[in-house]
Amino acid sequence: MPLDRPALERNLPRLFGLLLLALLLLAAWQWRNGPPVAASMLALLPAGSSDALVQQAEQRMQEPLNREVLLLVGHPQRAEAIALAGQLGQQWQALPQFDRVQWSLQADLAAIRQQLRGSRLELLPAADRQLLLAQPELLIQQRVAQLFDTFAASSLLPPEQDWLGLGARAQQGLNPHGRIQADLGSGVLLLESQGMTWALLRAHTAGDAFDLQAPKAIAAAVAQARTVVTAQGGQLLAASGVLYAAAGQAKASREISWIGGGATLGALLLLLLAFRRWRVLLSLLPVAVALLAGCTACVLVFGQINALTLVLGASLIGVAADYPLHYLSKSWSLPAWRSWSALWATLPGLSLSLGTNLIGYLALAFTPFPALTQIAVFSAAGLIGAYLCAVCLLPAWLAPLRLTPPASLLGFAERLLRLRQRLLDKTGSGPLLLVFLLLCGGGLWQVQSQNDLRQWLGQEPQLLAEAQQIAALTGQQPTSQFFLVRGADQQQLLERQAALALRLDGLVAAKQLQDYRALSQLQSPDSALQLLRAALQQLPQHWQPLLAMGIPLAALQQELAQLLLPGPSLETTLAGPLSEAWRPLWLGATADGVAGLVSLQGQANGAQLRGAAEGLDGVQLVDRIGELNQLFAATQLSAAELKLLSCGAILLLLCLPFGFAGALRVVCLPLLAALATLACLGWLGEPLTLFSLFGLLLITAIGVDYAILLREAIGGAAVSLLGTLLSGLLSWLSFGLLLLSQTPAIANFGLTISLGLFFCFLLAPWAANKVPSQ
Amino acid sequence: MSAGARFVGWAVGWASAHRSWHCGNGGLKPTLRLIAISFALLCAGQTQAFDLDQLSAQLAKPALVRGPFIQQKHLRALPQPLTSKGQFVLSREFGLLWFLHSPVQQDYRIDANGIARRTPQGWQPQPGQDVAAQQSRLFLAVLKGDHSGLARDFDLHLQGTAEAWQLQLQPRSLLLKQIFSAIQIQGGALVERIELQEVQGDSTVLLMPDTQPGAELAEQERSDFAP
Repeated sequence: MPLDRPALERNLPRLFGLLLLALLLLAAWQWRNGPPVAASMLALLPAGSSDALVQQAEQRMQEPLNREVLLLVGHPQRAEAIALAGQLGQQWQALPQFDRVQWSLQADLAAIRQQLRGSRLELLPAADRQLLLAQPELLIQQRVAQLFDTFAASSLLPPEQDWLGLGARAQQGLNPHGRIQADLGSGVLLLESQGMTWALLRAHTAGDAFDLQAPKAIAAAVAQARTVVTAQGGQLLAASGVLYAAAGQAKASREISWIGGGATLGALLLLLLAFRRWRVLLSLLPVAVALLAGCTACVLVFGQINALTLVLGASLIGVAADYPLHYLSKSWSLPAWRSWSALWATLPGLSLSLGTNLIGYLALAFTPFPALTQIAVFSAAGLIGAYLCAVCLLPAWLAPLRLTPPASLLGFAERLLRLRQRLLDKTGSGPLLLVFLLLCGGGLWQVQSQNDLRQWLGQEPQLLAEAQQIAALTGQQPTSQFFLVRGADQQQLLERQAALALRLDGLVAAKQLQDYRALSQLQSPDSALQLLRAALQQLPQHWQPLLAMGIPLAALQQELAQLLLPGPSLETTLAGPLSEAWRPLWLGATADGVAGLVSLQGQANGAQLRGAAEGLDGVQLVDRIGELNQLFAATQLSAAELKLLSCGAILLLLCLPFGFAGALRVVCLPLLAALATLACLGWLGEPLTLFSLFGLLLITAIGVDYAILLREAIGGAAVSLLGTLLSGLLSWLSFGLLLLSQTPAIANFGLTISLGLFFCFLLAPWAANKVPSQ
Repeated sequence: MSAGARFVGWAVGWASAHRSWHCGNGGLKPTLRLIAISFALLCAGQTQAFDLDQLSAQLAKPALVRGPFIQQKHLRALPQPLTSKGQFVLSREFGLLWFLHSPVQQDYRIDANGIARRTPQGWQPQPGQDVAAQQSRLFLAVLKGDHSGLARDFDLHLQGTAEAWQLQLQPRSLLLKQIFSAIQIQGGALVERIELQEVQGDSTVLLMPDTQPGAELAEQERSDFAP
């Protein structure tokens, strides 16, 4: 090739300098409003169903989790609890993070009375309906007693609006047990438990919970509130998806600095130890460029970068530091090492490395997991950045360097090779391979695939304990499972919800479900109301005791006539003050009718819930977590297929320099290493997760890199082995540290990579052109 | 719709979703009735105290009072009040027994554990234990002469002479103001009349025409108070 090398050596650094400047400017612009880092691991999960209605429903159900903070302020003194809640409420109302803070019930009873009066028949509890249908005389008798009773539960509706007492019964049905009560004076909602009074405070966040800066500020507000409450002898419990996001963010940034810092420090030491020149530390520059390019590309493509991507991406340091090693390690074989000439000598291998790595990573982009797509984009951009830096800029900066690395390291590599040769001389490759494969087989037998969302979330014991305590105190335990019910019109929807509710009643009675909420509780379907109205028309036969009390006949007839009129529409009912909790359940008109939800309280067995929906038209159980766990398994399969495809692509690429047999060897060795890693996971009893699979994919990419180094063997086998050892150690420094992550998914990934690197290094010498003969 | 209405909607819905809400239904009026009754009954027998603190100091004195009561519910829609009659026993030590005799029969017991109703199976605690506990706590506070709890939720006005005094309770909070316009307790040597005036125009009058200090509990009453 008629390349003008000196001109290239002059111009490449300038060109790269311009590129880097542009990249820096772009990054600076992206970070103008603070770090564009998202914390929610869940945001990396696939969108799930492609059904727009299901997605809308999921969003509706997650909204309160993501945007609400529930606080319980506890104090042994009731008055103190009330005062603390008021104090906190006022403080929080002034915070910009919250758009609504509620701690005191200042009810508009007129509006509640109006709704209760209009919807009392619809709201009538099942037991009272039964009474009206079967024993109307008893219903009247109970009402008479109630009107005389001093301590009978009194109704919001005055007697002259509710002579028959249906409003009082409907009201009781809304609140059968009084665990939470409003303090009469302050209106603060209180719970009593074991000598403590807990005041409830609910705050609605102004932005989305996964708005990037909000979780931190909200967690700080909770921490400050905790300090205040504790200082006054109280106790504070908080629950919110926002707090999990904040904890995840904090953990991620902690781990990024840990792992990134540890890896960088280790790499520094290793390079100094190997080459004994300060200037060689410049070869960590590609790492910085890789992280910068990866981040910038992610923000460019996705609008933001997830913390998980950053944590996993930090491990790219190991791979990015590899590139300079390709030519630095040649200093052992070239007596007068010069940066540019070493680069030109190793450029083909370096480019092949990049190509295979890119193919390996990009395969991940085609899995349906946003997580893997993001990591693929991050890694691909990072690798290209690192490659360009290592090729264009670094040789110029390393030009003055005269390397005379210690021969002892090379001697060590040579000893290793001799050791291997002696072993091979005794046994030959064949039997070794057999033993190796047997061990692999034994391990594979024990591999267990496990996919659980909890691996993504990690442990937040403190948050979990508080959420559980709140659930125990309030009885509120929202779940991610719910039913989506569709109907041709409102009536059909209500009929279907009522049919489902009947089955759910059975589960509640059998204590297999804590509770549920359905639109049909608020608005009975017409068919049910017709039965009740028919029974109401017979009521005049039984209401003599009411007349005997002196209630005018006209008043009773007027009330009856009002009850027989059609009730308010679902929309009107939903707008009423008693309906707030039901309002999110109404999805409104859809393309082919209307849709509504039935939400659940307390964890329930997925199979039982599916059973409850079985045979009911238009009823669909949405079980996001169960669905995701299934999707994990499906993704594993597709990721493995993609990997095989990418291996095919790498094989084709490598055919160019190595020929088919050589390429096959270079590709098979990493696959064998991956197999051994998988077997090790089996022996260790570690599960195969989506993340370990991702690790295996990465291993094959790195393994190909090592195999190429040893296949090309520029400067001799020992020099190449030493280069491989150094880059392996560098990689392990970063990936190995992931083992320490508190997120099980990431730790699992670190373990897989650590094992894989070991096997890649172990097997790489077999890539050499000639298998040494005996 | 006001934020308050939204909040109550939330609270009712939210709480009812896990079946634990209790306000504005069984809670409010019985509580107030209870406060009024106990406060009034305990004022019985005091002669000269017209300052609230003195009144309170007197409250702890009577160990036991008993007598008949007449309850009249004046409803706007009815020409005649709904009238019921019965007997009560108030013990400083144990609590209150409230026996409705006519036109319906129903016995109540209010003590440290809350409100209980007599059923064929024995005393049954009223649903909503915590509300009952709140009521009995207020009740017991009043019993001990502690009117600070009341003063937080009501403006108290004491008028008149030892022979004919009147205590007026004016609700302070928005919530209470939507239910009660005032509670009036009248007495002479003993409490004679309690009136709860509801915002919507109805009122309940409790007359205690013949309250007497008692020596000690009868055997049956003692066993009624036994847990």
